Amino acid sequence: MDSDISEMSLGQEFMRTNVDSDTDQSGTNEGVKAMETSEWLEETNKMHIHRADMNKLIMNYLVMEGFKEAAEKFSIEANIKPPMDLDQLDERIRIRTAIQNGQFQEAMRMVTALHPEILDDNSQLYFHLQQQVLIELIREGRVEEAVVYAQDHLAERGQRDPSILNELERTLALLAFDQPDTSPFGDLLHPSHRQKVASELNAAILRAQNQEETTPLLAELLKLLLWAQDELNKKKVQYPYMTDLIKGQIEERK
Amino acid sequence: MEVLPTCMDVEHSRVYIDQLYSNDSQKCFQAVSELKFAVIGSVREKGSIIEQGVVVRLLQILRAPELDILLKTEVATVLNSLAKGLPEHAAALVQAGLLPVLWEQLESCPSGGSGSAYTQMLLCCLRSIYRQGCAPPPPAWDQKLLSSLIQHGYHPPSNQECVANILAHACKTNEQQQQLVDAGGADLVACLLCSPVSRVQLPALHCLTAMCFNNERVSSIIATKSYGGKAVPDLLVGLMARDRPRDMQLAAATALTFLHRAGALSADDPRIIYKTLQCLVRMCRRDREVWERVEAANTLAYLTEVSTDLQRTAAMTDHLIHTMNDYLKDTTPPNASVPQGISVSPVSCRQYDNPSTWPELMVGAALKVYASLGANDEDIRQRVIKTDVLMNTIVTSLSAASPPVQLAAVRCLHSLSRSVHTLRTTLQDHVVWRPLMTVLKTSNNEELVTVSSSTLCNLLLEFSPSKEQILDQGAVEFLCGLTRRPHPGLRLNAVWALMNMAFQAEHRVKVSILHHLGTDQIFRLLSDTDVHILMKTLGLLRNLLSTKGHIDQIMQCHGKEIMQAIILILEGEHSAEVKEQALCILANIADGDIAKSAIMSNEDVLKKLMNYMVIPNVKLQIAATFCISNLIWNVEEGAAERQNKLREMGVYKLLQNLMTTTDTGLFDKVKTALQQFH
Repeated sequence: MDSDISEMSLGQEFMRTNVDSDTDQSGTNEGVKAMETSEWLEETNKMHIHRADMNKLIMNYLVMEGFKEAAEKFSIEANIKPPMDLDQLDERIRIRTAIQNGQFQEAMRMVTALHPEILDDNSQLYFHLQQQVLIELIREGRVEEAVVYAQDHLAERGQRDPSILNELERTLALLAFDQPDTSPFGDLLHPSHRQKVASELNAAILRAQNQEETTPLLAELLKLLLWAQDELNKKKVQYPYMTDLIKGQIEERK
Repeated sequence: MEVLPTCMDVEHSRVYIDQLYSNDSQKCFQAVSELKFAVIGSVREKGSIIEQGVVVRLLQILRAPELDILLKTEVATVLNSLAKGLPEHAAALVQAGLLPVLWEQLESCPSGGSGSAYTQMLLCCLRSIYRQGCAPPPPAWDQKLLSSLIQHGYHPPSNQECVANILAHACKTNEQQQQLVDAGGADLVACLLCSPVSRVQLPALHCLTAMCFNNERVSSIIATKSYGGKAVPDLLVGLMARDRPRDMQLAAATALTFLHRAGALSADDPRIIYKTLQCLVRMCRRDREVWERVEAANTLAYLTEVSTDLQRTAAMTDHLIHTMNDYLKDTTPPNASVPQGISVSPVSCRQYDNPSTWPELMVGAALKVYASLGANDEDIRQRVIKTDVLMNTIVTSLSAASPPVQLAAVRCLHSLSRSVHTLRTTLQDHVVWRPLMTVLKTSNNEELVTVSSSTLCNLLLEFSPSKEQILDQGAVEFLCGLTRRPHPGLRLNAVWALMNMAFQAEHRVKVSILHHLGTDQIFRLLSDTDVHILMKTLGLLRNLLSTKGHIDQIMQCHGKEIMQAIILILEGEHSAEVKEQALCILANIADGDIAKSAIMSNEDVLKKLMNYMVIPNVKLQIAATFCISNLIWNVEEGAAERQNKLREMGVYKLLQNLMTTTDTGLFDKVKTALQQFH
């Protein structure tokens, strides 16, 4: 079983469905109290989620993220049909494995062989992949190769596209430090950065396969929760607030 | 630890390029594969490969019938990637002759198996070229090619997306639109709109838009098509819903707008007035992206250009007038760009390449919306004009902006100038006529000059305070010059402006007009194929020949030619409306003291007048009678002789007969005339 959990960014993000900003609402400053925590929890417990729906959500997550074996097993145990032929997951799994092993060039070649249009159509993604190659070289201390790679592949891109310059500079700045992971740009070396790129690539492949959804519905649900909490906070409503999504911990919001 | 190709690269690439020319198909295939990995994603590599002249070899491989289809597919993949580079890369491919090869290969491609992968790649390649906008538009499509292309568009989704995109970008002329519909394009598009894949729906929308634009026949056909039990317009409404991606909402709204403007959906169709309009207004809001706001505003301006109902509804939807004001003041942040993955319409996608032009695009769009909103309704105009920076923006845009924005400014000004109140106030406070005259005198853009001259027309109306100042600027001579232009719209506006200018004008102005125009030109204008120009020329003559003193002086100098002109009209094949105008001019001439003799001495004209008195058209009878009335007017010198002559000719008897008329207007005129007779 894969121990790596793809990290979701828990920041503020809007729902996938478009919601118009309401311009005419004037919020009161005193803040409104929704209801007592116990009452809130009681109401929450009255909500009934069908097991079948839960199972579908889990299956969706497993399929999106490429957990083929788990999906196959789950399909048997929960008696639920997978949404697609699970062999289709193979290519995404291979590519994700390559990425997890730090083999970004290999991953790029695999993607190109299967879906030649992806890297041309998603230049941001392509840049992130190249950036990751650079990061891996720096991580392994192959400084000279890193500089050559940056010159050969990234310099010209940076000239044409000023929006990536900032990221490029941060990456190259790592070279200035003896211990780059403790530097101010150390976040680039963190495994979560790899995961971000992996997810981005995964989403691009799903799009190329004509899938309408490119992120797991569970992730969307959590984002919805965070967004709703954020909106309530803005209106200064007092309500039981979920502080820890993983543990489901709820606190009274002051 | 990954091993990377490093300084070896240059040598390495040289080797594989050389191998491209090898006759060993295995080596060749490997070389093409390497090439593929090199160019995908890298703009620099694409450029380098094209410069090295490799394209010729690649086309050669495609054309060789004996070569393996897998190799050809790989080559097509490379070409597709090259086509996705910079516009100049795509242009270089087209120049090297890529398009005919692709079409040819598409025709001869075997179906099924590896053939379908090849077909897919060929279609991708065509689509990528067309999307760059550098494919030369053929005057008309090859019918057979079009049919097979459409057939490919039904399955699978990848092909659907490509075919829809190709058609969306390639369909530019009326003829192509017809051909596309006749070849089954409308059915295909209706099917694609219902695809579950949004990547297919969006280019299908663009294709639909390209087909309907300005084409009544095609639009009416498309509006009646349906798929899966739903009519196309209803499908479009579905795609405009708020949960759809923004670019899709916009494309659907544009399609409905074009269907309306081409006459397939009326202005009071709820899908237009309660759905499309609202969607577009919504997308103009402050919190939206610049490309969205510009596209939505431009489309909205087009939607509301003609119908007063739509204008009124738009003006009260969601503070639109106020929102447009924001456009005039907007500034674009420095790092702006259109987000990746957004598909703007084929017509306007290139204009967002340079963010520094965005503020100007915003201004242009807002001015167009104001121009449409203020076209017909005075209330709306007054609200628009209260927009604080509007007049200043118009004045600056007239002189300083690029031609499209200048045009938008003039259109806006034109709408505003239809208001008498505005002419007397705002348009006087802001000296708009000066930059307007500059535009008129210096611009080569026909459309711009036409709308400007139309605006000038309004500024020259009698109650406009700008009139005198404009005259001082040599407007008369300029407008007379415009009457000689080939473009009928320009000629019309010029004559119209002169007509307005002559209305209740001073003698010197009238003299100036006649002097610069010349009677020859008047004759030419009276023989103009466009009847509106004819009417306005007659109107001009009528205005010139008003006020007794002026009439006499003008007839003294130009009497002969003027009478000739009028006879020309009366004898010619013209509508009753035109003849009525000519008779009115005669009536004016008959009002002059000395000028009367021009008519009295001309028996032919007098006989014509008598004919018109009895012709079964009341308006003509009235005009003729009025003329007679002026001729015999009691008070004036020589009235007795004139009355006798006319009585001899039988006019008196005619008038008596006309007393039996049931028309009150005519009756009054006849009675007045009879009363004059001694």
